Amino acid sequence: MSILSKFSPLAERYGRMRDSGADPFSIKFDDVLSSVEAVVNGRKTVLFGTNNYLGLTFDPHSVERSVEAIRMHGTGTTGSRIANGSYKGHEELEAALADFYGRKHCMVFSTGYQANLAMISTLVGQNDHLFLDADSHASIYDASRLGHAPVVRFRHNNPDDLAKRLNRLKDQPGDKLIVVEGIYSMLGDTAPLKEFVDVKREFGAYLLVDEAHSMGVLGEKGRGLAEREGVEDDVDFVVGTFSKSLASVGGYCVSSLDGFEILRIAARPYMFTASLPPAIVASTTAALETLRAEPQRREKLTANAERFYTGLRSAGFQVGPEANPIVAVILDKVDVAVAFWKRLVDEGMYLNLALPPATPSHQAFLRSSVSAAHTFEHIDFAVELMTRVGREFGLLPDNVTPFPARPVSAERLSARAATRPALRPAADVGAGMA
Amino acid sequence: MSEDQAALLSEVSEVLESVLNRKVELKPEMNIVNDLGLDSIAVMNFTMALEDKFDISIPLHDMASVVTVQDLLNTLSALRSDA
Repeated sequence: MSILSKFSPLAERYGRMRDSGADPFSIKFDDVLSSVEAVVNGRKTVLFGTNNYLGLTFDPHSVERSVEAIRMHGTGTTGSRIANGSYKGHEELEAALADFYGRKHCMVFSTGYQANLAMISTLVGQNDHLFLDADSHASIYDASRLGHAPVVRFRHNNPDDLAKRLNRLKDQPGDKLIVVEGIYSMLGDTAPLKEFVDVKREFGAYLLVDEAHSMGVLGEKGRGLAEREGVEDDVDFVVGTFSKSLASVGGYCVSSLDGFEILRIAARPYMFTASLPPAIVASTTAALETLRAEPQRREKLTANAERFYTGLRSAGFQVGPEANPIVAVILDKVDVAVAFWKRLVDEGMYLNLALPPATPSHQAFLRSSVSAAHTFEHIDFAVELMTRVGREFGLLPDNVTPFPARPVSAERLSARAATRPALRPAADVGAGMA
Repeated sequence: MSEDQAALLSEVSEVLESVLNRKVELKPEMNIVNDLGLDSIAVMNFTMALEDKFDISIPLHDMASVVTVQDLLNTLSALRSDA
């Protein structure tokens, strides 16, 4: 017996998966060539599992500013904002985000996970109540455990169910905070935000929306679901991340609530961790500029998401309820999902394998994220490959809409990709979309 | 066990069966996690279903101290008398 013995059931399950020849938790990229291509097991692989929505990880504007920041300000801040001071870059990034959202305040955190951890655990105290969507991300659940507020779950994307639960506590004193997500990270479905806003108003609650997967993706300006639904004034707090559309790492919260700044000396996950280093702050600030200046990236992303989602649905796959850059193929059996995933990786397509308990309803998902940097050829290759493997596995009917109209092979894709430089010019993403 | 407690136990069994989609036979001394094989998400879904069955609010931290079925019956009785 050791302190690790309690993990033996988990270790056994993991061992069974590895015995089947697939280990999704330790996939290794020998090299990353671009926003959408890497080398896996010596093979050029198209990436469909990156959350790199705008394709900005190699964007020259961000890269140059990041390199310059290291030369000017060093590799790390070696401390927290509160104990060791803020750099000018932190404040500039916060001002840029506040300006982007049209809000008075912004706090930047060292990861998106910590942004949720800090905000949710601090905003509500033991005399308040916290209301969470049942399918909330792990960072939201962990925040609920770090804080002291009683936690009530409501059924996923169900405003009536939330109203029922708020009603049971309507005579209780204290504040009530509702937490929902813009796009849910497993199925790619969006929250019915207008209806949630109605409930929030009826009960006088506060509303926090995690736009991690919808920032840069939804809304005319890319501010997310709240912008698309026209309810930004009713969203008290927007939390987001830099590790998806903005192609770095870190998180933020924006708000116009008076007194917001006090959270800097109250939120422990902000106070007791090292602040973001200059290179990250600089590349993130640059990526936000690109996000604002190049709306065509969002248009290309939407077109790619539609094409991928429609292609998989037409092939007969069970997919999520809406076409968003997160596209999940839902498979009931974990062992089938693992074998399917391994086959796709072997044939040059990387995507995420989402397994219970990270997924709702104990299902297994093949979870993809589409990027603005994908070409239609990448999308068609992925749909064709998944359809072929799906038929081979007996998961699809044979007489479905043929897709794509013309054959695309991995070899052809690789041959073409091999002639391209790893660092693409900025114009590349926009090239095919005029 | 009083008649009230026995009736409550039977109602709780029905709720758990609806969450797990299988037959369960609850006894007061059973450990909810170990004897019934509920993972953390199943416990949270069970809690949600109990809230709706009895029209009460059971904050998740109230469930943290619940180990046995008897603990659960006591918690439910207390919450229902508050409501």
